[in-house]
Amino acid sequence: MASFKPTKIQVYPKLGEKVTQDTLYWKNYKAPVQIKEFGAVTSIDFSPVTPHNFAVTAFTRIHIYGPFSQEPVKSFTRFKDTAYCGRFRSDGQLLVAGCEDSVVRLFDVSGKVALRLFKGHTKAVHLTDFTSDRYQILTGSDDYTCRLWDIPNATELTTYREHTDYIRCGVTSKLNRDLFITGSYDHTVKLFDARVEKSVITMDHGQPVESVLLYPSEGLLVSAGGRHVKVWDLLKGGQPLVSLKNHHKTVTSLALSSNGQRLLSASLDRHVKVYSTTNYKVVHNFDYAASILSLALAPDDESIVVGMTNSILSIKHRKNQEDSKEIAGQQRRRPSYRVFVKGKNYVPKQDDYLVSKPVKEHLAKYDKQLRRFNVSKALDTALETWIRFRKPEITMAVIKELDRRGTLKNALAGRDERGLSQLLNFLIGNFVDARFTPVLVTAAEMILDIYQSIIGQSPLVDRQLLRLQDLVEKELDYQKELLEVLGMLDTMFASSLPRKEVPCSGIGKSNGLTQGEPTTLDWV
Amino acid sequence: WEVLGPSAHVSALEMAADGGSSSLQLPCVFSPKSRQFLALCAQDGRLRIWNTDSKTLHQEYVPSAHLSATCTCIAWGPCRTVKEGPQRKKRKSEAVQVEEKADLLAMGTAAGTVLIYSTAKGALHCTLDGAHSGGVNCVQWHPEESLLYSGSDDTNIVEWDLQTGKTRSKWKADRAAVTSLCVSPDGKLLLSAGHIIKMWDLDTKEVYRKFTGHSTAVTTLRFATTRPPDSNGLYFLSGAAHDRLLSVWQVREDGKDKNSVVSFTLTDEPQHIDLVTSNSKEEAVRLAVVCKDGQLHLFEHFLNGPCKKPLSPSCTVQMSDTKESPMPIPLLAAVLGADTRTVMLAYGSHLQPVMEKVVSLLKETEIHDVKTPIVNAKSKVLVPGLPGHQAPLKGTSQGSEKRKKDTDTKEMSIAERLGEIDLSTISEKGASKGTASLQTDNFAVLLVQGLESNDASILNKVFQTRKDMVIKKTVARLPLSAVLPLVEEVTYTFVLSYRASLMVRWLKAVLMHHTSYLASLPDLVTQLGVLYHVIESRVKMFHKLTKLHGKLYLLMTQVSANICSAASFKSVFEDYSLTSQELSLSHKERMSLSSPHFCSYTPGSCEKSLHVVSKHLMTALRAPGDRFCKTELDFVLFSV
Repeated sequence: MASFKPTKIQVYPKLGEKVTQDTLYWKNYKAPVQIKEFGAVTSIDFSPVTPHNFAVTAFTRIHIYGPFSQEPVKSFTRFKDTAYCGRFRSDGQLLVAGCEDSVVRLFDVSGKVALRLFKGHTKAVHLTDFTSDRYQILTGSDDYTCRLWDIPNATELTTYREHTDYIRCGVTSKLNRDLFITGSYDHTVKLFDARVEKSVITMDHGQPVESVLLYPSEGLLVSAGGRHVKVWDLLKGGQPLVSLKNHHKTVTSLALSSNGQRLLSASLDRHVKVYSTTNYKVVHNFDYAASILSLALAPDDESIVVGMTNSILSIKHRKNQEDSKEIAGQQRRRPSYRVFVKGKNYVPKQDDYLVSKPVKEHLAKYDKQLRRFNVSKALDTALETWIRFRKPEITMAVIKELDRRGTLKNALAGRDERGLSQLLNFLIGNFVDARFTPVLVTAAEMILDIYQSIIGQSPLVDRQLLRLQDLVEKELDYQKELLEVLGMLDTMFASSLPRKEVPCSGIGKSNGLTQGEPTTLDWV
Repeated sequence: WEVLGPSAHVSALEMAADGGSSSLQLPCVFSPKSRQFLALCAQDGRLRIWNTDSKTLHQEYVPSAHLSATCTCIAWGPCRTVKEGPQRKKRKSEAVQVEEKADLLAMGTAAGTVLIYSTAKGALHCTLDGAHSGGVNCVQWHPEESLLYSGSDDTNIVEWDLQTGKTRSKWKADRAAVTSLCVSPDGKLLLSAGHIIKMWDLDTKEVYRKFTGHSTAVTTLRFATTRPPDSNGLYFLSGAAHDRLLSVWQVREDGKDKNSVVSFTLTDEPQHIDLVTSNSKEEAVRLAVVCKDGQLHLFEHFLNGPCKKPLSPSCTVQMSDTKESPMPIPLLAAVLGADTRTVMLAYGSHLQPVMEKVVSLLKETEIHDVKTPIVNAKSKVLVPGLPGHQAPLKGTSQGSEKRKKDTDTKEMSIAERLGEIDLSTISEKGASKGTASLQTDNFAVLLVQGLESNDASILNKVFQTRKDMVIKKTVARLPLSAVLPLVEEVTYTFVLSYRASLMVRWLKAVLMHHTSYLASLPDLVTQLGVLYHVIESRVKMFHKLTKLHGKLYLLMTQVSANICSAASFKSVFEDYSLTSQELSLSHKERMSLSSPHFCSYTPGSCEKSLHVVSKHLMTALRAPGDRFCKTELDFVLFSV
C-alpha cells in the first residue's frame, strides 16, 4: 500500500508577461487615491524634509498634501491667474511659484500671504527653483529670459537672454550654487554658470523641451521633449548618451526613483514608463486614465503621484510589507490550528531520544480512488466543478494516468446523460489548449467509440457533440493556416541561410537568391 | 484623437493649463418656433436680424449707446399674436387666431440696462434700467406672463414687469456674479448660476435646491424635461466656461441630487445650445451644441437616471470650404427642426452669416434615402470624429436651397458637383490602385503608435479588425522599423491566447509584404525562431485532429440523417417503391426493434448491432438498384 505513487500533476509554466524583479517591485502599490483638483495639474514637488509633504500646482492654487492625507493640509490661493511650478526649498520652509501674470511669489510654508513678490518678467513664468545656497531664486519665463533673484531684498541679480523661445523647464544644481540648467521651446537645453554670466554648454534636443532632470551625481542630464527622452553626459561637455523613444505623444515629465536606479517618464499618451538606468530599457509600464502632465516620486518610492489634464491627481502608495504578511499569516490559521500543530514545531535537543514515526501520507481523493481501482469514481472526482474550472491540469493528469493504466475506456464508459455532458463540457472547454490537446483527442475518440450507438437520443449530448465538431473544424482551419505560415517561414529560412555562405561561393549565387524572393511571394 | 501630432497636444496642454479667464462670445439666437429670424449682436454693438428663409438682412438696429454699453446677451420673447402692434402687451389666447410671430427681443448690456426691441415695429420698444449696478449677463423671458428676468454682475436677479416697465422684485442670488438664468417650461421655477447653480421657487423667491460642482462660471442652463419636479423626472443641463462637458442634473424628490447624473462630452466649451425637451420617459432629449471651436455636436439621450460614462455625440459636424486645403468654417449657432431630421445651421462670419437647413445628420440609414446629394459649393461635412482629414463623407448631404444673395461663393454646376462626389467615392473604394483610404492610413499610424509605446488598448483596437483588405493595407504602409516589433507582438499573442486566428492574418500579411526585408535580416532565425516553435508545437496534433474530425463528421451526419429519416422513413420507401420481400421485412423488423433501441441508454451488443443495421439500411436505401445495395441488404438481414 505504501508503494502507491500519487498522480503527478504536471506543472505548466504560466503564460503571459514575464515576471521580473521590476514588475514585482512596481506592482507592489495600492490602488490609487484619486483627488479632483480645480484644473489641470501642472506640477508636483515633494518636500525634501520629512514628513515629505508634496505641493500640487493646479489652476490658480497650490495645495500641499501630507504623505497620507486625502485633503490638502495647506493651500495657497492668492494667485491672480494660473499658477505654475510650485517648488520647495531644500529645507522645506519656503515655497516658490510662478504665475501667468508674470509675478513670482515666495511663500512661507506655514504662512498664507506671499513673503516676497518678484516682479520683472513680462510674461508668464513657468519655471521657478531655489539655488543650492538657498538665498537665490531661478526663474524662467515665456518672455525668453531666465533670471536670478536675491531672496532677502527681492531684487533681480542677473538676466540671461540666450534662449529664443519660451522657457518651460529647468533645474538648479544641488551641489554647486552657481550652476543651473534651463530647457526651452527653442529645442535647446542650456547649462548656465552664474560666475561667467553666460551659458557654458548648449545641447540641442531637437524638439521643444518639456522637462529636464539632473542625476543626483549631476554627471548626467535627462531632457524630455516631443516623443523623445534624451540623456546627456555633462562631464563630457554635453555629449548625447542615449535617446529613448517609447512614447507616442509628447513626454511631459521626468522623475528618478530615489536610489537613482530607475528613470520614469510620463507622457500625454497616458503612460508612465520605467527605465533601467544601466541599459535604458523599459522595465515597467503604468497606464493612467488621461494625459499626464506631471509626475513625482516620494523619497524611497513610498508613493507615486501623477497629475493629469482632466484635473485628477492620482496617488499610489506603496504596500506595507509587514501588513501584507500579517494578513496572509492570519488567513492560514484556522481554529483547529493549535490542535494539529501541537508539539509539531518542537525542535529536538541533543540528548533527546528520537522515536521515528512514519509520516502519514496524504492522498488526494482521486488518488485514494485510483488506489482502490475505482477508475470511474476517480474520474468523477477529477471532473468536479471546482477542479474542472479552476485546475484543469488535475483533471488532465488523472485522465493521463488512466490512459497510462489502459483503463480510460472503462472510466469513460457507463455514464448517464448528465455525466456524459459534463465530460463533453470539459472537452469543449479545454480542447483547443495546445497543452491538453494530445490527451483530450484520445479521450474524445474513446468517448465516440463507446457512445456512438446512443448518439441521436439526447438533444443535449447531440448539441454538445455538434459544438465539439464545430470547434475541431475551426481549430483545423486555424492549424491549416498556421501550417501555411510555417511553409512561408521555411522558405524564408531557406533563402536566408545560404546567405551566410555567399562570400565563399561567389557573387553569382547571391544574385540568384535575390531573384528567388519574388517567387516566395507568388507561392504564398 | 491618438493620431493628432505632438504640436496639437502641446497646445492642448497650454490650453488646459491656462485656467478660466472668460472669453468674448457674441450673442446669437434663433427666434423660437418658426426659426424665422436669427438675431446677432456684433462686436460693434449693432443688432442685426436675419431672415432665415430669404437669407437676407431683415433689420438692423444700432443702440444709441452701442459702444459704451455693448450688448452682452439677447433673448427672444415668447411668440405672440401681432395684431395691433406692441401696445398690447398682454397676450390674449382667446383672441382670434392670427399667426403667432416672434416679436420682442430683450438685450442685456454691459452698462446694466435691458433694451426691449420690437421686430414688428422695427424700433426700440422700451428700456428697462435703474435696477442693476453691474453689467447684465443674461436675460430670460417668462414663458407665459409678460415677465423678464435678468441676472447681473452685481449678483442680483431682477424680475421686470413689461406691462409697467418697472422692476417687480429684485433679490441677491449669489455671492458671485449671476452668469446664467433659465425659467422652467411651466414657469414656476427659475435656475440661476454663478459658480453654484440655484433653483428658485418663483412664487416665494426662495431657494428650492442648490447644485454644486462647476469650478468655473456657468454659462449655459437649460431645462431638458417638462415634467414636474416632484416626480424625479425633472432634468436640466448646465455648461461652464472652459469646461468640455455638459452636465445633466436630476431634481430628485428626496434631495439626493448632489452630483450630475449624465454628462455629454464636447470638443470645446459650449457656445450655443438648442434642445428639444422630452415630455415623457419614452421620449429622447435631442440636443445640438455648437462649441467654441466651431463644431456642432448632436446628441440623443433618454433621460431616465444616472449614467456613469460621459456620452459622446451621435454626430459631429464641421463646416469647411472646398479649397485644395479646406479650412474649417466655424459654426455660430444651430437649432433642431421640428422633425427629427433637420438642423438649421448658421456659420461664417458674424457680419455675414450663412444660414442653411441641413437634412438628416443623425441617422446614417436615412442619408441613403436622399435622392440627389448635392455638395454645397462652399461647405462640406467632414467625417465625424476626424477633424482635419480631407475626405468628405460620402452620403451626407445638405438639402440646400439656392440662395439669392450668396456671399462670395461661385456656384458649381450640377455636373461638377456630381463629379466631385464620384471622385470621392472612387478614392474610397479604389483599393486596387493603392490610393490612400482613410481607414487604413489611420490604422497604420495607430499601430505604429501602439507598438512604440506598447499600449495594449490601441493594439487591441487595431488587431480586432476582421477585414483582410484593411489588414493588408495597414501592413503595407507600416514603416520598416515597426515590422519587427509587430512580429514580436504577434508572437507574444500566439504564446498567450488559445485562438489567435485573427493574428494569423496579420502574420501572413507581414510575411507577404515584407518578405525581402525579413529575408535580408542577418539574424532572421533567432528573430522568428520562437514564433516558429510556437506554431510548430501547435500544429503537432493536426493529423490526429483531422482524424477525429472525420469521425465526428461521420457520426453527426448520421445523427442528422437519423432524425430526418426517422420521420420520413416510410415516405422514402414509397418513393423508391421497393417491394422486395426482404426489404419490407427488414423495414418491419427495424421499426419494431427501433423503439427499444431509441429509449435504451446503456450500450449493449444487441442495440449496437441494430444501430449498425439501421445505418447500412439507410445507405442501401439511398442507392437503390445498385449492386452494392444488394450486398448491403444481405448484410442487413444477416445481422438481424
